[in-house]
Amino acid sequence: MEKEKKKKKVMVKEKEVLEIPPVVEELSVVGKPAIRVDAYDKVMGKLAFGADLECLGALHGKVLRSPYPHALIKRIDTEKAKSIPGVRAVLTAKDVPGRNGFGAIIPDQPVICEDKVRYVGDGVALVAADTEELAIQALEAIEVEYEPLPAVFSPIEAMSPDAPKIHKKGNLLTTAKIRKGDVEKGFEEADVIVERTYSVPILEHAYLEPDVVIAIPHPDGTITVKGPMQAPFTVRRNIAPVLGIPINRVQCVQTPLGGGFGGKEDSPIDIGARAALLAWKTGRPVRMEYDREEITLSTAKRHPMIIKCKIGAKKDGTFVAFEGTIYNEQGAYASLGPVIPPAGGVHAHAVVMLPGPYEIPNVKVDGYLVYTNHPYGGAMRGFGAPQVNFAHESLVDELAEALKMDPYQLRYKNAFHLGSQTATGQILDQSVGLRDTMEKTREIFKWDEKWRPNPTPKELEGLEKKRGVGMAVGWYRTSIGISSDGCGVNLHLMEDGSVLLYQGLVEMGQGQFTSLSQITAEALGVKLEDVRVVTPDTDISPESGPTVGSRSTTLMGNAILQAAEMIKKPLFESASEILGVPADRLVAKNRLIYDRENPSHSIELKEAARRSMATGRRMMGQGWYTPPKSSLDLETGQGSPYFVYTYCTQMAEVEVDVRTGEVEVIKIVATFDIGKAINPIMLEGQIEGGIMMGLGYALMEEVVMKDGFVQNLGLQDYLIPTALDAPEIIPVYIEYHPNLHGPFGAKGIGEMPNIPAPPAITNAIANAVGARIRDLPAHSEKVFQAMRKIRK
Amino acid sequence: MAKRKIQIEVNGEGVTLEVEPDDLLVDVLRRDLKLTGTKVGCREGECGACSVILNGKVVPSCLIPVMKADGGRVTTIEGLGKNGDLHPIQKAFVEKGAVQCGFCTPGMILSAKNLLDEKPNPTIEEIKIAISGVLCRCTGYQKIIQAIQSASEIMRGKEG
Repeated sequence: MEKEKKKKKVMVKEKEVLEIPPVVEELSVVGKPAIRVDAYDKVMGKLAFGADLECLGALHGKVLRSPYPHALIKRIDTEKAKSIPGVRAVLTAKDVPGRNGFGAIIPDQPVICEDKVRYVGDGVALVAADTEELAIQALEAIEVEYEPLPAVFSPIEAMSPDAPKIHKKGNLLTTAKIRKGDVEKGFEEADVIVERTYSVPILEHAYLEPDVVIAIPHPDGTITVKGPMQAPFTVRRNIAPVLGIPINRVQCVQTPLGGGFGGKEDSPIDIGARAALLAWKTGRPVRMEYDREEITLSTAKRHPMIIKCKIGAKKDGTFVAFEGTIYNEQGAYASLGPVIPPAGGVHAHAVVMLPGPYEIPNVKVDGYLVYTNHPYGGAMRGFGAPQVNFAHESLVDELAEALKMDPYQLRYKNAFHLGSQTATGQILDQSVGLRDTMEKTREIFKWDEKWRPNPTPKELEGLEKKRGVGMAVGWYRTSIGISSDGCGVNLHLMEDGSVLLYQGLVEMGQGQFTSLSQITAEALGVKLEDVRVVTPDTDISPESGPTVGSRSTTLMGNAILQAAEMIKKPLFESASEILGVPADRLVAKNRLIYDRENPSHSIELKEAARRSMATGRRMMGQGWYTPPKSSLDLETGQGSPYFVYTYCTQMAEVEVDVRTGEVEVIKIVATFDIGKAINPIMLEGQIEGGIMMGLGYALMEEVVMKDGFVQNLGLQDYLIPTALDAPEIIPVYIEYHPNLHGPFGAKGIGEMPNIPAPPAITNAIANAVGARIRDLPAHSEKVFQAMRKIRK
Repeated sequence: MAKRKIQIEVNGEGVTLEVEPDDLLVDVLRRDLKLTGTKVGCREGECGACSVILNGKVVPSCLIPVMKADGGRVTTIEGLGKNGDLHPIQKAFVEKGAVQCGFCTPGMILSAKNLLDEKPNPTIEEIKIAISGVLCRCTGYQKIIQAIQSASEIMRGKEG
């Protein structure tokens, strides 16, 4: 009975969906591979990044950092440092006028540590001096007496009752779970069960542009903070309470980001609050920059996780049960980790995504997010999904081996489709193209020709190199979800037909200013070059939320469409008066307004704009878009946490050196169900770059820790892919499952490409030489050892 | 230390500078000559964002004592393109989508220029080697490689 009901519900949803696809007039700007609006400045070296700005009379700010992973601060003596001529401020915790804490979700990280340090790199004192050299001298002159405490470096150890307590409330920061069906019964019904543990390391974003800010205090009691930031509104809402002033007295101004990848959601809060405090106390502008080693040491990282999981299937491959436990290491501070409504951090996302994009009737997941004395985990491209994707896509591959099935067929059989129910009970009621991405990738990659079962050690005898293929699928949310995330915009039309776009989402290389300009131009009927994006500035840009969660194009795009409608109505009234045609018959396109029924009957758009201006009609529009309400019950782990998902399939071909374990990725074909490509060339750029970042995760990247100390602080030891590691990447996308809640059908793309790349590569390694890597990265030594183990 | 007077030809123009002998080339370019197209990503010669062409070789300017450039020729990104026209490599980067955040772009373009000056018709492998000293975290390199191939074709077409 219960089952029948569910079925019915799904049927209804499918019908609804079939009726809705919108009729769109031919597009003239959206969907075109337009040249980025910032490309010319960038190739000429003219674009000024934060570090290129000059600020007359600025002091140089520096942070004194803890050399202990866990210690009490017994005494700090700053007198000697203060007495150095040219040193303008030496601040300790007692100098913080407001709240001594910041954080993207909860303010548990001290601006300046008072009684205790919790990781190597924690901020213990701040200095500002006339020159950088003097600031460094001042740091060296500060005397700190520490009493080292026992430290803990593993989430499982940190959960034990006798573990050293890092924060007063204990080490378990947050839990999250999923309960669906009855997993015990499910596993009883299974013919084959595979149970494994996977683990993934700490990762550094390695954005090329180092963090830098300039904080400028003003005589009227306001303060400006300029720098590269992914979330200027979050930075603002952290600086104000630290200084003890209202939010409207803090202005955060965006400088172009030289890469962010989630890292600059967090780090500008840290460096911004500290520079602002120094500026506030000295009354002088303060410039602060973190060097490469400081960034690796002290800013947010990708969460490392230990993931235990178990899957049960029928002989024919039908999944019947899934059980998983995530030990998610938060490190010293909460950053973007926890699930604290209305925020759903990395941890919630990881738990929701762990069962993968598969229909499974019985699911149980428990996730523990635990403080340790390591650098803290924050947002990094994929926000918890790459970690768990590596687990479920390795596990499904191992299940296929156990079932002696083609891993493609096994995945296809269980993959989400329209009307599927997720582990959290969400019915996927629109825009579900996973199986189409699988079919397309299989065809282009020639999977059926290339895939053979994994070799036996005997088959490898005498070989020097061996190729193999692997695949992985993935899903990723658009928007922050769980709670809602509103997004505001102001649009101004000038009487000459040019347009100003005021919004607060940032350009970090992904092409945001270009895609938003394209949507604006399309919506208003002007050309791309008619739109200018005003630099995001919290004093003049409406609250837009952070540039994260693959949300920007979809959410801001919708807000822009609303704002454009507000302008177009009066604009068409003006045009109607000139053309003598009813306003509802008018179309605006390519700088023209014309009669739909007689397109040659037209005027230039600017003529109508001039008339609107002269007759006092509205020339500005405002948009505020909130995505459909989402939900996740933390007790039951049930709900619809995100309103739409992007789907993806990736297939990789690798060549493994059988003698050394060295892996070369030859080719990756990746297909994305993205709803609508607003700018195809930039979309490809997101795909190729994201996959390459995934290749780094798969094969080489790891922040190596020893006793709480980062062992590879510089880019000479923390390796990211170079051009020599670049495989051939074939980016593919499909547009026939439009997002009904997206502008022109679009949904998010920024993070998806990064997610299934690692397991596609490690599955290909297993397929090449039989070596199964369950602990990233799969560097040559690990592959070599895994091969040796099989031979024995 | 006493300041020293040096002469460098920067982007085709001779300049005389008074520098600290322990100044690095990158700082003289950025701070004194305001050529901020040269970026600083690591100060350890690893990221390549500060790459410039010094006497016909691509070097990380963050590792080069400025005294080593005395009497030499330096080309920075500002030296490419004449009278506001883009150099064909710059044009190819724009058109092929080889630019994302733009922080590596100057170093990439200069590495490509030096390669194409020496080898007008490089293989993909040669392109990869030539730009392997510059890290890019955004693009995955593919569109950069394609842009350099495209520029190579166009430049050879023009010369031929």
